[in-house]
This record gives sequence, C-alpha cells and structure tokens, in this order.
Amino acid sequence: MVIHCEHLVKVYKTAAEFRALDDVSLDIKKGDFISIMGPSGCGKSTLLNILGLLDEPTSGEYLLNGQPTAHMKDGLRSRTRRDHIGFIFQSFNLMPKLSVLQNIALPMRYGDMPRSEILPRARELLKRVGLEDKADNTPQQLSGGQCQRVACARALANRPEIILADEPTGNLDSKSGADILELLQELNRGKMTIIMVTHDEKIAAGAQRIIRMKDGKIV
Amino acid sequence: MKLPDLISTGWAEIRSHKMRSFLSVFAIAIGIATFFYTLSVLSQRYRDIDRSAQISGKGRVDTFIEKPLSMDQYNMLLRTLPEGSSLSLRTGNYITNAIYKGRVLNDFAIQGVLPSFQDSAFVFDVEGRFFNWKDIENKHRVAVIIVYPRDKEKRDFTRYLFHEPGTEQTPLADLVKRVNLLNQQISINGQSFTVVGILRAPTVEKDFRIARDMEHNQYIFIPYSTWYDIIPSWRDYFETFIRVVTGSESKTGKAVSSLSSFLRSQFGSDFDPIINPFRFQLKFARQQAWINLRSMIFIGLIAMIAGGIGIMNITMAVIFSRTREIGIRRALGASRWDILFQFLVEALLLGLCGAALGMVLGYLAILHMADNADQMTFSWWVVAAAVLLALATSFVFALYPAYQASKLKPVDALKYE
Ligand SMILES: Nc1ncnc2c1ncn2[C@@H]1O[C@H](COP(=O)(O)OP(=O)(O)O)[C@@H](O)[C@H]1O
Ligand SMILES: [Mg+2]
Repeated sequence: MVIHCEHLVKVYKTAAEFRALDDVSLDIKKGDFISIMGPSGCGKSTLLNILGLLDEPTSGEYLLNGQPTAHMKDGLRSRTRRDHIGFIFQSFNLMPKLSVLQNIALPMRYGDMPRSEILPRARELLKRVGLEDKADNTPQQLSGGQCQRVACARALANRPEIILADEPTGNLDSKSGADILELLQELNRGKMTIIMVTHDEKIAAGAQRIIRMKDGKIV
Repeated sequence: MKLPDLISTGWAEIRSHKMRSFLSVFAIAIGIATFFYTLSVLSQRYRDIDRSAQISGKGRVDTFIEKPLSMDQYNMLLRTLPEGSSLSLRTGNYITNAIYKGRVLNDFAIQGVLPSFQDSAFVFDVEGRFFNWKDIENKHRVAVIIVYPRDKEKRDFTRYLFHEPGTEQTPLADLVKRVNLLNQQISINGQSFTVVGILRAPTVEKDFRIARDMEHNQYIFIPYSTWYDIIPSWRDYFETFIRVVTGSESKTGKAVSSLSSFLRSQFGSDFDPIINPFRFQLKFARQQAWINLRSMIFIGLIAMIAGGIGIMNITMAVIFSRTREIGIRRALGASRWDILFQFLVEALLLGLCGAALGMVLGYLAILHMADNADQMTFSWWVVAAAVLLALATSFVFALYPAYQASKLKPVDALKYE
C-alpha cells in the first residue's frame, strides 16, 4: 500500500471551527490512477495537500509507503516530498524568472544528484514532454498547455513514485487538457501512482477509479 | 541546495532588483568605508609608533631633572646602570646669544649634548661629523646645526609681532637655508665656534619619532662639557635631560632603580624625579591614536547598524513578495534550512557588495582626507576585517527575516497571492 489513511480530520479554526476533512479513510495501491471529484470547497485540495506532506491533518493517521507521517521532522518530510512525490498544480507554479530548463532542474538542485548531471536530465525530461526547443524560454513565453507540460516534467525530475495533480487541466483548453491526461496515463502505465483532482467528468473518466467527496467526506 | 546554486539564485535576485539592492549595499558601504578608513589610518599610526620604538632602541628610560650633572657624575651614573647601557645627557636651552658674520641670530636654542645622543631616535643625515668623546674631554668649541627640510614650512607670525625696530635679527632657520654653515665660525656668548656638522632632519612624513622626541626647534648643539663652560655664571637654574637605553626591556626596571638611587645619592633622599620607561610613552601614543579615531569607529558602527537594518528591511520585503516562491520551493522538496540559507546567502552577497564598494569609498577618503596618504600601506587584515564585518552585519540582520521565511508552512505559502 503506497498510501493508507485512517480517520483523517482537518479542522480550520477561523471564526468558527470548520471541518474541511471529516473522517476520511483511504487506501491507494502502487500503480493506481485515482481521480477525486466533488463540488468546490469539499476538501479535495486539503486532502491532496495532506497526502503530499504540504499540510498536516488535525487528527487521524497517514502512512506513506508504510511509514507513519505524523511525527516526521521537517527535514525528513521535505526529503520525502522531494524524492517520492511530484506535484502538478492548476496554476502551474513555475518560477517566472527561471528558464524552462532551470525550472525543470529546480527539484534536482535540492537533491543529492551531482551538479553536472542535472541539466542533461532536465533536457531529457523536456524532450519527453515534447518541448526541447523551448529550453531557454521563460514560462511567460509559453502557452498554458506548454506550461503544464513543463510542470509535469518538473514533477518527474527526482523520479517520484507518486504524482499529485490538483486540477491539472483546470486552466487549460480541452485539447491541452487531453494532452496532459494522456501524459498522466502514460506515466501510470509505467507503474506510477497518480492521484488527480478534477472537475471535469471526461478527464476523471481517464482514471481507473473515481473517488467522490462532499463536505469533507468520501461518498 | 548546494552553495553555487544558492549563490547564483541570490545573485539573480539581487540583479533583478537593482535599485533596492543598491540602497542596502550603499548603507553597508558607508559603514565599511568608515571602518576601512579608520582602521587603515590607525594601523598606519601603530606602524609608525612601532618604527619609532625601533629607532628609539629597546629598554629606554627617560627623566628630567632641574640640576646640573657634571662629567664625573655622568661616569658614576653610567657605572651603576646595567651592563651595555647607553647614557645620554642633554642640557636645557638658555644661551640665545649667537652672531654669524655680524648678523645677530634669533629663533633658536643651544643645547649641550653628548656623543651618545646618537644612540637613540637619531633620524638625521649627518653632513660633516657629529661630536666625539674628544670634543667632550677637551671642551672643544664646535657646533652641530639641525636643518629641517624646506617643504611644509609654517609661517611664524610672532616673529613680526615682537619685531623691535633697530634690532635687525636673522632667524637661524632662514640662515641655514640660505648659507651652508659647515666649517663656518659662529660666535656664541662671545666665543668662537666652528660648525663641524649639519644634521639634516627628514620630512615630517618620514620622521617616525613619537611626539616626545619630535621637537621642531631650531637647535645649535654644542658639546655637553663646553656648554657648562660658557654658561653665564649668574645662572642658578639648570635642566638636564637624562636618557638611558639599556638594549633590553628586561633591564628597564633595573635602570629605573639605579637612576633613582643615583639621583638620590647626589641630590638628597627626598629627591624624586619622574622616571619614565619609554614604552609607557609608546603606549600613551597608541592610546592617543586610538582616542583620536574612536569616534570614527562609533560613526562607522552607526552606519553599519543602519545598513544592517536596511538589509533586514529588504529581506522582510523580499519574503513578502516571494512567499509563493517559497511555497513552490517547499513543494519541490526544499527544507526549512534550504529556505533559511537561501535568504542568508542573498543577504551575505549584498554585504559582500557593500564591503567592496565601502573599501573603494574608504580608499578614496584616505587619498583625500588622511595625513600622509602617500605613506599609507594597506594591510590585508584591514581588508579581511572589513569583509568580515560586512558579512557579520548582513548575517545578523538577515537572520530574523530568513528564519521567519523558513517557518512558513508550505500550504500557506503556496496559497499566498
Ligand atoms: N487555511 C484555511 N483556513 C480556513 N479555511 C480553509 C483554509 N483552507 C481551506 N479552507 C476551507 O476548507 C474548505 C476546503 O477547501 P479546499 O480543500 O481547498 O476545497 P476544494 O475541494 O475546492 O479544493 C473550503 O471551504 C475552504 O474555504
Ligand atoms: Mg481546490
């Protein structure tokens, strides 16, 4: 089991207490391709952020690759994020001042890879998403679909076994969205575990399993 | 993240906000310039004082008594001093009556000195000869005159204020510049003296004697024994400057005690002159150099704090405007340490730029403001201290904002717009 969650609860203490996640239990096996659907505000991103170790649950247990994550120190959490998880965001989250190639290289700069191997690998990844001629462009010079492909290449940089994608096609036209889905499916065929949040029924249908959420619960 | 990546990231960030970076670099630079200037001048002063110590000899002791000392007393005293000591006596300056070829000289002092005068702080070039012990023994009528370099001459207006009509007088300083007095005759108190030597003093910049030795009076030296021979008989007030150079600091204490017990044996048990080891003079000169410059250090410190606050302010602003970037980096695997280091390295780079600019400014200040700038030699330790100071300041002031940045939770940073 790659991901094992039991009774996850996330409470935000704003004016009143708000349960963004309410007793979520979930098991995801290696090689699964899951899509999470649900109305806006139902807690999809909250769940994904917890799975990606960007956030911590208020209570409940989350085991990643069999390891409990509750008491991980920042160093280990960061390393785990770096080596085992690749993120794809709705708004791409590329560094605007860095070239496309440097954006893809960025996760490797936080790793132990020898410096001389970083850029060749970044170039190889760029080729894999079909943008080798855009290496020296900045993200602003790219279309949305191209940006998301760069983000995919960046997510793969440290060879993670899990990809977490939060509405990866939300900002794209349907053609580009289909391209991204195809890319994710191809990665999944290579035994990568993929968890994707989406609004789009057609995109969601591309996954093996659909999880539906409502008011912080899986339904 | 590895250091080269941290540096190139920080440098790119500095370059993309040129004005903002310049302002904080500038504040640091002002502080560094002040320190660079002050430390350079101070180390130069210290070096001069060290050179002064060298030419003065080791284990020197000075005192001054208001009594005459005869040559017999000189020999007695020398025997009580530590083995190998040099003893120099020098009289006060009362004889002011001298005539050269009918011209009455003024503005000078005549002192009786011994050949051992040459043993310490003797910075002069000798033309002709200095006195020898035969001159002392035979009370020769010979004189040695100091000539100061022509340059950097100060006008003495009192000369005109006290000018009495009908008594035309020639200042000795003017005479020695116009006439080479070597082997000429001068009349002192009605007795004829032959000038056997001219002492050429170095320029002020090259004169490393500390203030005590640096009288700029126009002197005519005559042999110590001769001086007592021609002293006016009515005089009952004498001055004798006594200088001992033992050759070793460890013998200073013994020299002081021999000197004081000898003087007591001669002038009574309650006779108690102030006897100063020369190293106290040097210490005092060092303290004085420090006192003269310490307010500059204070100003530099204020500027450094201002610069540090600038760096802190900028780092805070940068962190606000880059919160989302921090979130992205965290999502890609950056740890809290990575974020901390990134902002520290950026601040250190600003500090380094400040140090470089500051040293350029400090150097220009030295060229235009410091005395004897042409003599100034720049020490590596001053450069190193300036760089370290700039780095330490930017480090300390960037620490808090960088820590705040590292503390941001990844989700919160990512949601930040
Ligand atoms: N930091 C926060 N503080 C308070 N409430 C939050 C915070 N983050 C999210 N929420 C709330 O939690 C709920 C779930 O949010 P989210 O997981 O982003 O929903 P979505 O399913 O649209 O991705 C929303 O109602 C949102 O307003
Ligand atoms: Mg969402």
